Amino acid sequence: MRRYFARKLLIYALTFFLAVTIDWLIPRFMPGNPVQTMLSRAHLHAEAADVMYGYFMRAFGLDLPIWQQYVNFWVALVHGDLGTSVFVFPTPVLQVILNAVPYDIFLLLPAILASWLAGNWFGAFAARSRWLDNTALPVGYILTATPYMWLAILLAWVFGIILHIFPIAGAYSFALRPHLSWTFVWSLFVHWVLPFLSLFMVMLGGWAIGMRNMIIYELEADYAHYLEALGAPRRLIRAYAFRNAVLPQLTGLALQLGVIVAGALATEIVFSYPGIGYLILQAIQNEDYFLLQGCFLFIIVGVLLANFIIDVAYVVVDPRTRTGMQGETA
Amino acid sequence: MRRVLFILSLLAILSMLTVGVVPATEPEGADVVYERSETLYTSGTQWGPPSSWNPMVTWGYAMGTAGLCYETLFIYDPFTNEYMPWLAEEGKWSSATEYDLKLRQGITWSDGQPFTAADVVFTVELGKKFATVQYSTIWEWLQSVEQVDDYNVKFTFSDPLYQEWAHFLYYRAIVPKHLWESKTEEEVVSGANDNPVGTGPYLYDTHSQDRMVWVKNATWWAKDALGLDPKPKRIVDIVNSSNNVALGLVLQGGLDLSNNFLPGVATLLQSGYALETYYPEPPYMLSANTAWLILNNTKKPMDDPAFRRAMAYAVDVSQIVQVVYGNIVMAANPTGLLPVWDEFIDQSVVDELGPSYDPAKAKQILADAGYADTDSDGFVESPDGSKIELSIIVPFGWTDWMESIKVIANGAQAVGINLKPEYPDYGGYADARNSGKFDMLISNEVQISNTPWRYYDWMFDAPIRETMGNGNYERYDNQQVFDLIVQLDKTPIDDIAGMKKVISEIQRIQLTDMPLIPLWYNGMWAQYSNAVWTNWPSSAEGRNHYLPTSWREYWNMTAILMLCDLKLAETE
Amino acid sequence: MKTKSEFLYFALRNSKLRIGLAVVLLFLALALIGPFFTTFTVDGYVGPSSQPPSSTYWFGTTTFGQDVYTQFVHGLGATFLVGIIGGGLGTLIGVVIGFTAGYRGGIVDELLNILTNIVLVIPTLALLLIISAYLEVRGVLLESLFIGFTAWPWAARAIRAQTFSLRSREFIDLARLSGMKDWKIIFTEVAPNMMSYLFMTFILQFGGAVLIAATLDFVGLGPTQGISLGLMMNNAVLWSALTLGMWWWFVPPGLAITIIVGAMYIMNVGLDEVFNPKLREM
Repeated sequence: MRRYFARKLLIYALTFFLAVTIDWLIPRFMPGNPVQTMLSRAHLHAEAADVMYGYFMRAFGLDLPIWQQYVNFWVALVHGDLGTSVFVFPTPVLQVILNAVPYDIFLLLPAILASWLAGNWFGAFAARSRWLDNTALPVGYILTATPYMWLAILLAWVFGIILHIFPIAGAYSFALRPHLSWTFVWSLFVHWVLPFLSLFMVMLGGWAIGMRNMIIYELEADYAHYLEALGAPRRLIRAYAFRNAVLPQLTGLALQLGVIVAGALATEIVFSYPGIGYLILQAIQNEDYFLLQGCFLFIIVGVLLANFIIDVAYVVVDPRTRTGMQGETA
Repeated sequence: MRRVLFILSLLAILSMLTVGVVPATEPEGADVVYERSETLYTSGTQWGPPSSWNPMVTWGYAMGTAGLCYETLFIYDPFTNEYMPWLAEEGKWSSATEYDLKLRQGITWSDGQPFTAADVVFTVELGKKFATVQYSTIWEWLQSVEQVDDYNVKFTFSDPLYQEWAHFLYYRAIVPKHLWESKTEEEVVSGANDNPVGTGPYLYDTHSQDRMVWVKNATWWAKDALGLDPKPKRIVDIVNSSNNVALGLVLQGGLDLSNNFLPGVATLLQSGYALETYYPEPPYMLSANTAWLILNNTKKPMDDPAFRRAMAYAVDVSQIVQVVYGNIVMAANPTGLLPVWDEFIDQSVVDELGPSYDPAKAKQILADAGYADTDSDGFVESPDGSKIELSIIVPFGWTDWMESIKVIANGAQAVGINLKPEYPDYGGYADARNSGKFDMLISNEVQISNTPWRYYDWMFDAPIRETMGNGNYERYDNQQVFDLIVQLDKTPIDDIAGMKKVISEIQRIQLTDMPLIPLWYNGMWAQYSNAVWTNWPSSAEGRNHYLPTSWREYWNMTAILMLCDLKLAETE
Repeated sequence: MKTKSEFLYFALRNSKLRIGLAVVLLFLALALIGPFFTTFTVDGYVGPSSQPPSSTYWFGTTTFGQDVYTQFVHGLGATFLVGIIGGGLGTLIGVVIGFTAGYRGGIVDELLNILTNIVLVIPTLALLLIISAYLEVRGVLLESLFIGFTAWPWAARAIRAQTFSLRSREFIDLARLSGMKDWKIIFTEVAPNMMSYLFMTFILQFGGAVLIAATLDFVGLGPTQGISLGLMMNNAVLWSALTLGMWWWFVPPGLAITIIVGAMYIMNVGLDEVFNPKLREM
């Protein structure tokens, strides 16, 4: 057991190192120069431009040889310094991310959880009842098959612009300043409903389909046949099947949660909701190396953490996988 | 399982609270709910979170930093060509090389300190202190600035550039000496300056990732001195994420002034939304700048003036104006000068050399210059036989330009030039443009200002360097025109005849060589809702003719006066 | 073991499969034949601006007077291309990696796991942007390849889990004991039992590829040449089509994607029933 975990940790450390290095490399493979891009918006006289260019290159450490930039990167990382953003100049990257991420968590966490719970519940039911399978589940399929942006924009249009029920921009009213009061909480809620709904609707079907398929597969397994042959009640078989089927769903859930830090780009664009996803897109388009690195670092950590938790959970819960991973034959 | 769910739901609730709690630190006595009738909602300037209140960062400060918070010595009205005294009371050239500035008395900074000549001297001398300051080049022709007394400043020039100086007077924000003299170079040039102290009508209230909020300064000097009182108590500038959402907000009544490019706005003017634009009929929008077709003069075959002329005859600008823009822009004059500078257009030069849309003539010019389709692929080759395969670029996502270059490419192909439209992202576009690696592109950087000199300075920025960051992307190298532009700069701002003479010569060279081709006037996108605020700028009789835009650099071109003229709509 | 003809028998009788397949084939036909019914070009300014559907312009026109129907049928073709190539590639890679990892276990599994995690973790957005920065001109084919090369981790994980559970069954042990080579075991024993699973993986990958492509197009990372349903929606939003009332420009592309992918998912369910008699009797 200890050896198993030690090995796992080593692998994760390796993955982290590799992934972070790739993360650091990726923005630098892009042609162009972020300082140039930033200054090209400034319309400076030639002499001033040259001076400012040199100044900013030094300020961002971009005039150092590549290997030195890499070393500096790790040193700064250990100190918790993710650099200064070029797009949201001169805010430090860590601050930009910390300002934006809570909005994504606020939106995505409930959406993922709610859709996971509802979806699995639906899927489990559908696997048992033919009627549900033929009526409710197709609705789930159609929803999942919908391109997210399309659905989100339609929702915004119908409920926001035509019916005037919900607002279509911002996390809270532009007439409010955050403070503890029911007005503010209500505003937060009202601005949250449409984005949440759109995410919920589209994710729901996916979980439902997955769960349904998983349960059906479990019902195919030998132990299910065996129990049936023994005359066990259907409900008992289903209960076992459910527990086994939930495992891969947990994997999916953990991975989705791990990627929350990547934000919901589409949602943020459609509903003008603040968050990290839109900033990532802008960072990419404006060649903001540091902001990109910082965001992706968060994502890497999130996903690896989620993976690790899954692995631990699996070991605890499923003996099959434990033996399988160590290469033994059953 | 249930325990896991319980923990997860706790996490969810906690996260919801962090959003509310984290930003919930507001100072004592601040309003937390804004009255609709006291608030002006704007949009169209910020495309990312407000992060800088430093007026030196002219391309990236939060909307209104210069104009609402920091102010300039004069305000310029492009329609009347007037320099209205603002922080200054009077300014005049006492001799050919000396400029005397008399400042207004009774102005205070928002922290209570008086505004004096020391601040003006300090601001100008910052350019001498730090070479990285944007206007440090002024010290190449400004010899000294002297504080005569508390309210008088004398500028002595070694080589007076009158046009550029006039621009400085209404363009540069003055910063407080007592707060800025201890700043380091880094802080001055690139610091966030997050507690901005200015002389202006608005103070910093709050900001977040998606908005910038200014609150009215009750002790603004112009209330008593000029009888000006901006009506909105708060200005909330909303960060754009897409024009589509901005349109939705306008229609919902949540946005008063939108300076976004909103396609189809013409159709909405008649749809009962209480929307208005400056002109009630086409072109609806004022002209803010010129969209130029820039050809890379250092690359074959764009180095051949005949080829460039042929391109000028091959572009159907009217199709762009009518179909792509739905008539909210106007086709540009062959010189490219904005309508406010009509008097400087030498019509005789234009009549003689100005191109128009004429594909037959374009083909003729190409044929006469030796371009022929030797391999019968439908496209011409260079006189020396080499193939011509060109691309024209605009940033991806700038939808109107993306559509426009399709029209341009089609026009070029119709006369035999193999031109394809491409859409790199903004970084790639800026890179190619500044380093001279492009074939053709569209650019519209230089804005309306107090003098056509600014236009020519941008069009023919000199000298040609490896990286061009401030104009002349076409890399047109003509010492004669460079000299003419300097000569223009040295012409006094009120010597219209003198200016016309020099400009006429520049135009002649420009239209003969055609290094860049003016296409259309990009609009000063502005649509306003009369739902809450009314009496916006309009071309109609009896209305004010101020600039209706919140864009950077425009507040001090009379947009601030627009705020003072606003009235609350009668029916709410 | 079921025989092929038995499968076919049930397949043809399964209503979900029939309906799903019919819908998909209908759209495929539209994509292939549709372009011949129109004389307009995709990008040309052929008509008056912003017209609702009429007898000349079956799906109406855009802000510039382009024919929406023409764009629609050409876009359909692009969408199918992405689904088949992107989905197919993703399935192929995912299956190969998943099988190997699940069957071999041990070090091989660990290494492949790392690979899978890294590909999962690498922000596809950033990767796509580097690619797009170097290849300024990209077509639908490139987009499909890109999606295929980055969407396989999900398939790999699923296949791996299935392989795990299968390999511990008796007939696998028998095959091993009899000295069969591993890859032979995979192909002749494991795969046939997972045939249904493979089909369904492909269907899900197809649907996923189409949806990912739509999102990429929407965000502006799609092909720079040509047209696709996602690009149509992107253009429609950029020009505020819905807000200005031009629903015919925005709704059909999204609806088409929904129907096609939805039909694929329903086919998935139908296939499930064909391969698992248990479900038929439920």
